[in-house]
Amino acid sequence: MRKYVVIYQSVFIENLQYTANIAMGFITYLILVFVFINLWNYMYAAPGDLIAGYTREQMIWYVMLTEMIWFGARSSTVREQVSADIRGGNIAYLINKPYHYPFYILAKYTGEWNIQLPMYAALTAAAGITMVGALPDFHWLTLVAAVPCIALGMTIHAVLKLCISMLSFWIEDANPFQWLYDKLILVVGTIFPVEIFPAALQPVLKLTPIYTVCYGPAKLIVDFSVGKYLEILLAQVLYLAFGSVILFWIYKKGGRKLYVNGG
Amino acid sequence: MLTVVKNQLWVCALAVKYNIMREMLNKVTFLTNILFMMFNNATFIVQWVILLRLREDVGGYTMREVMLLWGLAASSFGLSRLLFARVFSLPELIVNGKLDAYLVQPKNVLLSVMTSATTVSAIGDCLYGLVVLCIFCFSVKRLLLFLLFTVTGAWIMTAFALLMGSLTFWFVRSEVFGSNMVNSAITFATYPDGIFKGVSRFLLYNIIPVGMAVYHPVHLMMAFDVRKFLAVLGYLAFLSTAAVIVFYRGLRRYSSSSLMQAGRG
Repeated sequence: MRKYVVIYQSVFIENLQYTANIAMGFITYLILVFVFINLWNYMYAAPGDLIAGYTREQMIWYVMLTEMIWFGARSSTVREQVSADIRGGNIAYLINKPYHYPFYILAKYTGEWNIQLPMYAALTAAAGITMVGALPDFHWLTLVAAVPCIALGMTIHAVLKLCISMLSFWIEDANPFQWLYDKLILVVGTIFPVEIFPAALQPVLKLTPIYTVCYGPAKLIVDFSVGKYLEILLAQVLYLAFGSVILFWIYKKGGRKLYVNGG
Repeated sequence: MLTVVKNQLWVCALAVKYNIMREMLNKVTFLTNILFMMFNNATFIVQWVILLRLREDVGGYTMREVMLLWGLAASSFGLSRLLFARVFSLPELIVNGKLDAYLVQPKNVLLSVMTSATTVSAIGDCLYGLVVLCIFCFSVKRLLLFLLFTVTGAWIMTAFALLMGSLTFWFVRSEVFGSNMVNSAITFATYPDGIFKGVSRFLLYNIIPVGMAVYHPVHLMMAFDVRKFLAVLGYLAFLSTAAVIVFYRGLRRYSSSSLMQAGRG
């Protein structure tokens, strides 16, 4: 375990040196938020309207928070690096190191998002208060309660991205599958809360990563309830366990494939 | 003069052809990239179905106009990235001194740079646009206008990317600003202009060229207006000229790094 902590620390410190680079991404985030604010302002014809139980302020805050999670979780480590390691044969070298490759990648990724996410969180708070106003009925304790959910969501996201990247053991380019996963999260998960979908679709959506990666954490901050909190935490734990099993299964299978091809 | 232009265009066409052929070496990856890009674009239909369930129109756009907007945006950006993908990574060439390989070629530097790479998935974007048009609002007149505006849209986006990329000749780190501007154009192009008001609307029609590349053409395909059409052509001519002038002005400031490369990086 200690070696992964050391990897995490070294990446964390390294990323501290590049906060200016991370801040460059703020422009894209702000542009997206600007578009969504305009969109939801249009959709809410009159102040006080409710859509799927959300007020205009809650809806915009929800979108800002899911986008914050999305931008905070952006990482080339779980996507490009893993694919490049596998495609380039570097994995044959890394696999013999005294660490477990997926854990090594996860430790690096955690070091990255631990810098990125707080920066985007600060930006979200500033932009939200400036452009939308304070979140109605917000309590600081809900933010504290949501932190484990955010951390679990980020880890689930990384595990799923890793699973997709490891498809490179079989296909040369796993990017098309990454696009589909990204679009699932972006289009269905970040723009709309689950409640906006038809009632028949909502149970299905709760089985997708959308529920555990972005909906859960954002929903808790926007509209906290203890029942929802426990439900989301349980779903996340189950999702993480299931995702990890799949990840290690793919990694094991892929490792054998690597042996056959010779790297 | 005509022979020179003809030869240059022939070289460009060959460059694009060989770029695509190189990408086709792995046929499975080639086809997967195209098909998944089409699926990727199609996922946004879900977003619009949901939004249009909440209101009859969004910014004055019904499903038909939204799909036309999406189709044209995808085709325009797709064509731009298919033919001139290198324009979008121009800052990297400038910063890393990789323009050297193009400067020693006997043909036009700018066109050589522009046509030196392709993005395969862009074929999926182009096809998606056509499929969407055929499904949601097909007519022969609209198809012809769609093809025309795909070319003008691609031209405008390429010129804009060239202009933004060329800023790197002067300003360190401007590549981040430039890529953010180009990406913001793509983001704005997929939402109806009716939701933007005031200053943002002015910017979209004048500074970020989405208005002329996508919004006006969509309006024209729904109801043709000569003045809007001329505005698009005028903007295209102005932006292209400005982009070419800025590129060549910037090129005078270019000095290669110590990096030595034989190929086209």
